Amino acid sequence: MDRHSTTGAMSEAELAQVLSQVRAGDPDAWGELYRRYAPAIFRFCRRLLPAREDAEDATTEIFMKVRQKLGTYDSSRPFTAWLYKVASNHCWDTLRRRRIRQDLETGDLDTLPLEHPDPSQLERLQTEHTSKEVRTGLAKLPDRARMALVLRYYADMSYDEIADTLGVRRAFVGVLLLRARHQLRDALGGTSTSAERASAGGKS
Amino acid sequence: MSQLDDHFDEVTGLLYLERQLDESRAREVSAHLASCAACRELLHALESEGVWLRQALAAEDESIPAHLISAPERGGAHWGWIAAFGLGVGGAYTLWTGVIEPWFAQASQAGFTQGNILTMLLFSGAFWKGWDAMRSLTEFLAVATLGTVAIWLLRKHWQRFTAIAFVMGALVCALALPPAAQAADVERGNPNYTLLAGQEVKNDLIVAAAQRTRIDGDVDGDLIVFSNVVTVTGHIKGDIICFAQALRVDGPVDGNVRAWAQNLTLNGSIGKNLMAWAGAMELGEKAVVGGTMTSFSGATDLNGRLSGDLLSVAGDLEINGVLGRDAMIRGDRLTVGSSAQIGGKLNYEGTRQPDISPSAKLATSPDIKIMHRGPNYASPRYYWHQTLFWGASFLFGLVVLLVAPGFLSDVVQACKKVGPALGFGALFLFATPIIAIIACITIVGLGVGIAGLLFYMIALYSAQVFTGSWLGEKLLGAGVGVGPAIGRLALGLGVQQVLMTLPYVRNLVFLAIIVWGLGALVLAIYKRMRPQVAAAV
Repeated sequence: MDRHSTTGAMSEAELAQVLSQVRAGDPDAWGELYRRYAPAIFRFCRRLLPAREDAEDATTEIFMKVRQKLGTYDSSRPFTAWLYKVASNHCWDTLRRRRIRQDLETGDLDTLPLEHPDPSQLERLQTEHTSKEVRTGLAKLPDRARMALVLRYYADMSYDEIADTLGVRRAFVGVLLLRARHQLRDALGGTSTSAERASAGGKS
Repeated sequence: MSQLDDHFDEVTGLLYLERQLDESRAREVSAHLASCAACRELLHALESEGVWLRQALAAEDESIPAHLISAPERGGAHWGWIAAFGLGVGGAYTLWTGVIEPWFAQASQAGFTQGNILTMLLFSGAFWKGWDAMRSLTEFLAVATLGTVAIWLLRKHWQRFTAIAFVMGALVCALALPPAAQAADVERGNPNYTLLAGQEVKNDLIVAAAQRTRIDGDVDGDLIVFSNVVTVTGHIKGDIICFAQALRVDGPVDGNVRAWAQNLTLNGSIGKNLMAWAGAMELGEKAVVGGTMTSFSGATDLNGRLSGDLLSVAGDLEINGVLGRDAMIRGDRLTVGSSAQIGGKLNYEGTRQPDISPSAKLATSPDIKIMHRGPNYASPRYYWHQTLFWGASFLFGLVVLLVAPGFLSDVVQACKKVGPALGFGALFLFATPIIAIIACITIVGLGVGIAGLLFYMIALYSAQVFTGSWLGEKLLGAGVGVGPAIGRLALGLGVQQVLMTLPYVRNLVFLAIIVWGLGALVLAIYKRMRPQVAAAV
């Protein structure tokens, strides 16, 4: 899994040694682990939480949680996957506690257009907007839509992991992702479906 | 358009691209793609959109804050809590400097000899020989509050954990400031303690957790007693501080008497001042108080002689003795008997007309004011006060909302569990002060007890904020973000304030708000403190 990456990623053996030292209470090892992974987790949080201060707080809190829960980490699985899972759970809890989240799972399928979007418009959207604009558009999305996109396309999480984090059925993740893409397209200026184009053309 | 039915939809296209379709469906889609240019085009667009999203998300356009470079330490307190604690202390200090101290300065001008309320109210020259140190501590805490808030505002530019360590360290240092209690003989756990006549204790004497305490001998210092029944006939050269169900003092006391008792009887002489919180209190005919007397009691009989001023807040006060100076009395009923003498001014505010015997000797004509029980709905002042109360609670709520929005949201959620919230609220409403007082009585836990009571009072005050937020949400529906939350808080508190002005039900509403809000607070704190399930992986 190509997790987004950590600065100066450690080799597996190096990481295993650092983790065992952290478990033994070595503050230097903890500092080393933090230095390696905190920037990546901050960037991850920054994409999930609209306010920079929230992302800073979340990074700190996530690492305190990581330190407490390191005993539960199964070393047969990738450490970064576990780390991102803890981070995404924390961010989702934060958003949920703040009651900013408002989108609901039910009814989403009905609101999805079954028509194909116009591929040329999609491509135009991609060429016209800078990464920064995409990030700004992302910040405007409902929390769950933003979470879904970031977990999938930044943290490379599997559908199962996303379903588990967001508390939805696995079968719903694809719908969630597509809906989030639609919302992002709308936030960036919008695309229309072929049916909408046909109807607009008829009127003119 | 009918041809569209043969195409797969966008979700299927996405699932195909992300390899999430089952094998047979994936084969169908592949077969369709081979023959359908439109769907190939769509798939290509979706794929390039995915790549574009990954690139946009991966782009680094912000620097990492410097303070995140160093690792956090375990168990660092959250800023919100520190700020809330600081603001609480700041509020207490404001109350002290803005309300209590000016009031006491006024009382002092009116002839009350002790200007310092703390010296007068608590432990004068007993537990801590220096209340001034405690006062400095309060001032220090207030300054620390301002500092904390400033740091919080400037937090982007601080190494935050260094700052937390600094503030917490400073608080700990400040708490260590008060000097320890002086040398004392301590009697603990003896159910019946007696100091026999002729015996003498050279130090302070502390008697804790006794059933019956009898002091017939002399104590060279202060006598501090926590006991069920206390009788003092010996000579106490310092102060008496007593928490008891029944206290009787027949012997002479050179210092002050400070007593918290259900029944208090004084027949001896007290060199300095008397301060009492009592259910029923009697100053016998032979009793002489050299200084002032301050009492908060249910029924009080003053038959002895008092040299200084009298400040009495009593349900029912009867004066038959001699008061050397002014008397300021607040209460329900006042009777001044025929043998009474009052050397100074008599100022009385109460709900009933006092019964003053024509034979009583009063130096000046009494100043009497009869108050009406309950709110005066005809007075604009009443409504102004209600508006002020609303404003104060709104400001407090605003601080809670901005400092700890997540926590406030948790408590508001807990408000929805009406049954458990009311149950826990009722339990903690009564249990907390009892536990805090028990902590105080064990001496070692005095600081813990007082801190507990302080937090208890803050919790009681904050209860209305929680129920108000809940009520606002109930009325306007759930909101999103801080702005709507502020609006809902303001509305909920306003409705509550109106309900609390209604005749007949206002006390009930007040009690319900306190119990419910407190219960919700307890539930939310419990939810936060219980062990969390480990992250699922």
